[in-house]
Amino acid sequence: MELVVALGLIVFKVALLIAILLLLPLPLTWLERKIAGHMQQRMGPMRVGWHGLLQPVADGVKLLTKEDHIPAEADRFLFKLAPILALAPPFVVFVAVPFGESVSVLGTEITLYVSNMNVALLFVFAVIGIEVYGVIFGGWAANSKYAVLGSLRTCAQMISYEIPMGFAVIGVVMLAQSMSLLDIVRAQANVWNIVYQPVGFFVFFVAGLAESQRIPFDLAEAEGDLGAGFHTEYSGIRFAFFMVSEYAIMLLTSVLAVILFFGGWNGVLVPLPPLVWFGLKVAFFVYVFIWFRFTFPRYRYDQLMAIGWKVLLPLSMANIIITGVAFL
Amino acid sequence: MSRALDRTGIWIGWAFFADLANALALTFGYMFSRPVTMQYPDKEKWLPYSRYRGHHFLKRDEEGEIKCVACELCARICPCDCIEVIPYEDEKGNRRPAKFEIDMARCLFCGLCEDACPADAIALGQQYEFSSFSSSDLVIGRDDLLGKPGKAMTGGGVVAAHLNTEQDVLVETSEPQGYNWWRNIRRT
Repeated sequence: MELVVALGLIVFKVALLIAILLLLPLPLTWLERKIAGHMQQRMGPMRVGWHGLLQPVADGVKLLTKEDHIPAEADRFLFKLAPILALAPPFVVFVAVPFGESVSVLGTEITLYVSNMNVALLFVFAVIGIEVYGVIFGGWAANSKYAVLGSLRTCAQMISYEIPMGFAVIGVVMLAQSMSLLDIVRAQANVWNIVYQPVGFFVFFVAGLAESQRIPFDLAEAEGDLGAGFHTEYSGIRFAFFMVSEYAIMLLTSVLAVILFFGGWNGVLVPLPPLVWFGLKVAFFVYVFIWFRFTFPRYRYDQLMAIGWKVLLPLSMANIIITGVAFL
Repeated sequence: MSRALDRTGIWIGWAFFADLANALALTFGYMFSRPVTMQYPDKEKWLPYSRYRGHHFLKRDEEGEIKCVACELCARICPCDCIEVIPYEDEKGNRRPAKFEIDMARCLFCGLCEDACPADAIALGQQYEFSSFSSSDLVIGRDDLLGKPGKAMTGGGVVAAHLNTEQDVLVETSEPQGYNWWRNIRRT
């Protein structure tokens, strides 16, 4: 009986997580377009629903009813596989991400995470590494020069930025003496990691921007010079998969930044429920992502590489060394 | 302050991304400024200036008779040959147009007909909403032209309006004068 309840709980949590992650891009696209509009003294979507609130639904219907076109010269198998490969990893990663300690419902303690892995951080980085295959396959299979260029750029970008990103979080792991995200948050109950690891956070955030392919590092898409980059040839629902994946990764980067450097669900000064604190912090980071997108231009490809290898990598290594010395 | 100190300041600013922070502050400020969008046709509509060249109209004199003397100068000067005038002699012995048709689909709104008219009978008015699904509907006859609105008296403003799609597509407004749209333009 207990096993059934436990199993049911896990299934329920996973279903809830998937539902939230699939539905969250809807308000996020609306928010992004609204913020973009107001930053450019426009209004953003206004016509569908109150202040355009139903615009994402209209967009979704449009994407679902559009022709799902596969180019004649495309590698059909990889072309169909790529959106799934891009979409799945961000969802899988959230299995290891905690959203709080636990809440008691009807007398039973329900933990706010699907699983508490002791190597959660490693799992996150390992799985998110797979995401690059979706982009590479997508660009390659489309058999179009823009798509191939976009995916080649992404390939180099993702691989070079995963290294500083991985090094940047080592400082956090050293502070918490654990790779479990739950323990990392617990270790920040008094002082957030951002106080000890400002450089680590900087490297992590910049690398995170690059990993989620947002401006100023969105060379994979680069509307200006590549059409739409790796998803130039995608349409309809497969394009929607790539978009959902982009938003899920943006969300994941925000969640990781909050968990690793901003104390997770630990609040300061204002006593709010932990989940609210967590949501507020994540919302702030999502806003920062959107804010950056409509402020900065895109980096050139060689600048991108220079930042990754000549600035972020030495910085993250120095961060590890300094943290280690401080520990001794 | 010495130039060396200035330069150090710039370098320190550069190291801490002062330029990027400036850009972020600018966009954040813009986010809270008023949008300049004119919500046409849902909520607002532009009232043209009096110099605006919109849909043609024919004028009447004090006795209510059409001013046009059917001299056909407008038809002659029209660069796209869109005016057709056929004269007749009315009961008082005056030359008047029996037929005065303008093909709005061909008109380029240059206003030469207005300049050429010796009787000050034709002019380009303020109406600008006359799109149509068929180009034959865009050939406007004499009586319709007499009923078209004239030049805008005030104008150059945004007025509240609402879209009416019950019969035809109409953007209705009741206000004669609107607010100056340029007031929302942010100048820094």
